[in-house]
Amino acid sequence: MLKMHNIRKSYRTDTIETHALRDFSLEVNEGEFVSVTGPSGSGKTTFLNIAGLLETPTGGQYLLDGQEVGNLSDRDRSRLRNEKIGFIFQGFNLIPDLNLFDNIDVPLRYRGFNAKERRRRIEKSLEQVGLSARAKHLPAQLSGGQQQRVAIARALAGEPRFLLADEPTGNLDSLMARQVMELLEFINEWGTTIVMVTHDPDLARRAQRNIQIVDGQVSDLRQSIAQPEIASA
Amino acid sequence: MIGYYISLAIRSLRGTPILSALMIAAIAVGVGASMTVLTLNYMMSQNALEHKDKVLYAVQLDSWDPNQAADTANEIPWQLTYPDAVALLRSDIPTRQVAMHRFGFTVNLDESDMRPFTANTRVTTRDFFSLFDVPFEYGGTWNKEADSAAVQSVVLSKETNEKLFGGENSVGKVVQLNGEPFTVVGVLKHWNPSPKIYDLNNNPFADSEELYIPFGLHRKYEIYSWGNTNGWTSSAPEGAEGYERFLLGEHVWIQFWVELDSAEQKEAYEQFLTGYIREQKEQGRFERPLKFALSHPSEWLVLNEVLGNDNRVLGWASLAFLLVCVVNAVALLLAKFLRKAPEAGVRRALGASRNAIFTQHLIESSCIGVLGGLLGIILALAGLTGIRALAMGQVDQIATMNWEMMLAAVGLAIFASILAGLYPAWRISRTNPSVYLKTQ
Repeated sequence: MLKMHNIRKSYRTDTIETHALRDFSLEVNEGEFVSVTGPSGSGKTTFLNIAGLLETPTGGQYLLDGQEVGNLSDRDRSRLRNEKIGFIFQGFNLIPDLNLFDNIDVPLRYRGFNAKERRRRIEKSLEQVGLSARAKHLPAQLSGGQQQRVAIARALAGEPRFLLADEPTGNLDSLMARQVMELLEFINEWGTTIVMVTHDPDLARRAQRNIQIVDGQVSDLRQSIAQPEIASA
Repeated sequence: MIGYYISLAIRSLRGTPILSALMIAAIAVGVGASMTVLTLNYMMSQNALEHKDKVLYAVQLDSWDPNQAADTANEIPWQLTYPDAVALLRSDIPTRQVAMHRFGFTVNLDESDMRPFTANTRVTTRDFFSLFDVPFEYGGTWNKEADSAAVQSVVLSKETNEKLFGGENSVGKVVQLNGEPFTVVGVLKHWNPSPKIYDLNNNPFADSEELYIPFGLHRKYEIYSWGNTNGWTSSAPEGAEGYERFLLGEHVWIQFWVELDSAEQKEAYEQFLTGYIREQKEQGRFERPLKFALSHPSEWLVLNEVLGNDNRVLGWASLAFLLVCVVNAVALLLAKFLRKAPEAGVRRALGASRNAIFTQHLIESSCIGVLGGLLGIILALAGLTGIRALAMGQVDQIATMNWEMMLAAVGLAIFASILAGLYPAWRISRTNPSVYLKTQ
C-alpha cells in the first residue's frame, strides 16, 4: 500500500539546514493498522505529510498503491490525495463556518460527485459516526469528541483506502479518546489501511504494528507493540 | 464548481461584513469616480455619423487674413463666407451638399392661446436631412428652389410639433415665424445627436434645433447668425451696404458639408475647389497660399477638439485613482485571505489543488468586484447628476450613463477586483498546507 525507500526531507533557511527525515524507509501493507511514535521533533509529522502528499520529499522514492508519486504534478497529487487518502488531525480541522453536512461535503466536491451521490455519502458517513441528527449543526456546537467523529466522517465519506491520523486523540479526554480509537479500529476492520501518529503508548499498543521514529529515521521497523520498552519510548 | 465557489464567496463575505464592505467600497469609489469621467469622455467622443464617415466631408476654405493664419487646429477657418457657400452650392459634383447655420425665430400660432416662444432654428439647404440621415415622422424636406429662393416652408422637430400641434400630423399647417406665415412641410422623429457634429461651433453638446427653414430666405428676412461670425476684414464689395454688406463680406459663418461617394468624386471635388480658389485669387480674394480641407466626421471631431486634452488627462487621472483603490483592495484582500489560510490548508488536505484554491479566491474577488461595480454605478450616476446640476443644462446630453457604460462599469469593477485578487489568491494557493494543519 505504502512504500518509502530512503526518503529524505530537509528544510533550509539562509543559515541552517534541518534534516527532518534521513534515509527513511518504511512499508505499510494493505489493511494494516500502524502506529507511529517518537519524541517531539523526531519527524513523525513530516513523515505523515509526505505520506499524505502534502509535502514532497527532498530525495528518495515513495510508492503509493504501487504508483511512484515523487514526480506527480500538484493537480495529480491533489487528485490522488482526494481519492485515496483520508486525514484525521489532532485539532479536528473542521471549517468553523460550515455545518457538519457542508464540512463533509468539502472533499466530495473536489471529487466531482453529483449532488445525489454526495448527499448519500454524507448521510452514510454521519450515520457511521452516530451524528446524523447533528448534520445542520456548526462545529462549535459540538464537543471535542463529536468534532473528531465529524472529522472521521469527513475522511470516510470519500471511502479512502488509506487513513492518516495525526494524534487523533490528542485533544480529547480519555473516554472520548477511547471512543475515537474504537471507531478507528472498526474502520480498519472494514479494510482501510491506517497509519496513526500518537504520543499515547496505550493507543500505540492497540495498533497491529508500531514504528518508532528517532532523528528522522525508523529506529526499529518490526518491533512488536506489545513489548513494554516501546510503550515507554 | 463555479457555483460552489460563488456560494463559498457569499458565505465568506457574510462572515467578514466590515472587511468586505471596506473592499466593496474601495472598488466602488474607484469605479464610481473613473466611470463618471470616462462616461463623459465616452459620450463626448461619440460619432453620430460613423456609418457615413467615409463619404461625408466638412469643407474648409482658407479665405483668411493674408498676414495671419486662422486660429484653428489646421489654420483654416472652421466656416465659410456666405458668397463662398453659395458658389460651392452651384457644384453638381457632390451627391449631396449642405450649407447652413444657426438662427432663432419667434414662433406662434394663429388663433391660439399659446404664448410665443423663441425657437432655435437651423437655416439650411434641403440636403441637410438626407445627408445627416435625419428621420422624418411626417412629410419631408422642401423643394430644391427653396435653397435659393424665398420659400416660406418649415420642418419641425418632433418636440416642437408636440408643443404646437400635440404631436399630430401638421404637414400643410401654418406657423408664424417672426410674424410671417410658414407652411409645415415635414416633422422629424426624435433626433438629437451628441456631440452635435454638424455644428461644433455652437456648443457641441447642445440640443438639435427646433425648426429648420430654407437657405434661400436670407435676404428676405435679413437672417444673421446665432453663432460665430468671425471676420478678418470689414471690406465688402463696392456698393454693398447694411445687411448686404454683412452677407457679402469676409465673415465666416456658414457650415458646409458634402457627400462624396467615391474616390473619383472626391478628386473631382478637390479639383473644383482648387479651381474655385484660383478664380477667387484672380479677383483679389484668397490671398493666402491655396489651401482647403475636406475632413471626415471623425477627423472633424478631433480637429475641433470635442474631446479636449483636459478631458483626456482627467480620464487618465481617474484611472490612476482607480489603481490606488485597487492597491488598497489588494491589501485588504491579502489580509482577508491570509486570515483564511488555515481553511485553505484543510481544503488542500482534502483534495483541492493549488489551482482550485486560486480559482476559489479569485471568484471571491470577482464577487466583490460585481458588488463594487453595482455600487460604483450608483456613485457614477450620482456624480453625473452633480455635473449636470453644476453645468446648468449645458451637458445634459453627455452626462448620462447608457447601458453600455453601465456594463462597462461592472466589467471595469470585475477587472479591477480580479487584478486586486490575483496576488492574494496566488499567495494563499502557494502556502504550505501542512503548516496550518498542525497549528490550527
